[in-house]
Amino acid sequence: MAPRGCAPAQLLLLLTLLWPGEGTSPQLQSVFLGRCAEYITLLSPQDKNCTAIWEAFKVVLDKDPCSVLPSDYDLFINLSRHSIPRDKSLFWENNHLLVMSFSENTRRFMPLCDVLYGRVGDFLSWCRQENAPELDYQSCPISEDCEHNAVDSYWKRASMQYSRDSSGVIYVMLNGSEPNGAYPVRGFFADFEIPYLQKDKVTQIEIWVMHEIGGPNVESCGEGSVKILEERLEAMGFQYRCINDHLPVKLLMCVDHSTHPDCALTL
Amino acid sequence: MANYEFSPMPRDERCCRLSRRSRVCLCLGLLVLVACAVVLAAALTWSRAQTPEPLAWNGAGTTRNLLELVLGRCYSYTQLVRLDLRSKDCPKILDAFKNAFISKNPCNITKEDYEPLLDLVNQTVPCNKSLFWSKSKDLAHQYTRVQGEMFTLEDTLLGYLADDLTWCGDPGSAELNHQSCPHWNECLSNPGSVFWKVISQKFAESACGVVQVMLNGSLSEPFRKSSTFGSVEVFNLDPRKVHTLQAWVMHDIGGISSDSCSSASINELKSIVTERNMTFTCQNNYRPVRFIQCVKNPEHPSCTSEI
Repeated sequence: MAPRGCAPAQLLLLLTLLWPGEGTSPQLQSVFLGRCAEYITLLSPQDKNCTAIWEAFKVVLDKDPCSVLPSDYDLFINLSRHSIPRDKSLFWENNHLLVMSFSENTRRFMPLCDVLYGRVGDFLSWCRQENAPELDYQSCPISEDCEHNAVDSYWKRASMQYSRDSSGVIYVMLNGSEPNGAYPVRGFFADFEIPYLQKDKVTQIEIWVMHEIGGPNVESCGEGSVKILEERLEAMGFQYRCINDHLPVKLLMCVDHSTHPDCALTL
Repeated sequence: MANYEFSPMPRDERCCRLSRRSRVCLCLGLLVLVACAVVLAAALTWSRAQTPEPLAWNGAGTTRNLLELVLGRCYSYTQLVRLDLRSKDCPKILDAFKNAFISKNPCNITKEDYEPLLDLVNQTVPCNKSLFWSKSKDLAHQYTRVQGEMFTLEDTLLGYLADDLTWCGDPGSAELNHQSCPHWNECLSNPGSVFWKVISQKFAESACGVVQVMLNGSLSEPFRKSSTFGSVEVFNLDPRKVHTLQAWVMHDIGGISSDSCSSASINELKSIVTERNMTFTCQNNYRPVRFIQCVKNPEHPSCTSEI
């Protein structure tokens, strides 16, 4: 499974070309501390201790790379956790570039990668070597290799917390051009986010099914896997609504396709 | 426990056999020693309290956690974002940045102070990819972030390191001054202003091909000679490398619309550019950037009308 995060376009492209089997990110500690400092000083000023947060995080770097549980990140989460403004949570599947652009660094929305405990690990990877105490910079196990790998467990733990701390109207952006379906029935959103939404804090769930400009319309609201999601939410007792091609997001997609006929109707 | 009989010695004989005079000298000596220790402790405490406070200025102080921030940004940029700069030495870059202003009077910073930093980071932006901006910073950045191939100054390494940060030192110490830094209206040769001027010049000098500038058409003067763009950047474009300057004049959604491209302000820019042997073109509300503005105002007529 590719590391979860919401990185910009050029980053993703370069990573797929140059990092075939991702090992621990270079300068992990400095990047982590720098991002933490950036978050608590500039993005969302708050009183947190980045050194302590790093110390809590790095315990997993001493563990066998296939024995890291989500609960190993409990102290890290406890120290870095902060409130999420009401109506600002944005969940997503298969559209991290768009989510990153749309959320505008916490100003419009606060998806997981714009929360402190999501920001510090965004698009990084880390693991200890199998038979030595040092970090493995060559490659790290992914979900196909073993379930309890450091990065997956991190995102599972972070996702659960993010869900628990979300309130008000919950937004979900799905990709209606994704060939395998807009709502992955097994995935972070399905398995580690929906189950942890708090019924007493969530007023409504709003689903946006976005289609790529000039891309195929694989699924829309009320169809296929989106229908499965809607039925699931209903069964859980949530109020929900579904919108195809939510306009503000569509407008953002048009930046790169300004002359496409699908964008002519909008402007 | 030693196995012997203990019988108390007479008082006088228990202590070392000293004469009365010697004992007095010893006591006096000890007293002097104690007195010295007390005086020394007091002096140290007093002098610590008397350490010169940093010079006081009118502007905000150095950003908290500046060094961790800058180092983290350097690694993020070189190891994750622009891997062509992977070999850059971030700790060295941080040092060169610090040394430009540490222990110096923050009203006396010069271009030369930043030379070592500039020498370490020699980054060229690909031709046709430079985007200048004036009074439209947020919009320009939102655009390059989405579009992904163009560079504003803050998308280059040096601009990226310093964006939104404040920094200054103090002549009396090797510390960062977190309490205050000079505001630009106190002195122009402050660490931030000099930095941005120096790298703006470099950014302009290294641009090539078609360069773009995003201007704010909702201002009475979208182009001002007093702005960094108008005073530093436009004059450091190299006509041997840059053949065209393309202006995108963006109006606020819902603001007064006008043909800024034919305004006096833009005509002034046009004559500067053509006098320098470059071609000038202008567009009102360049469409891709317009879409970005519309994200915030999707229902506005100018965002929904059919072409």
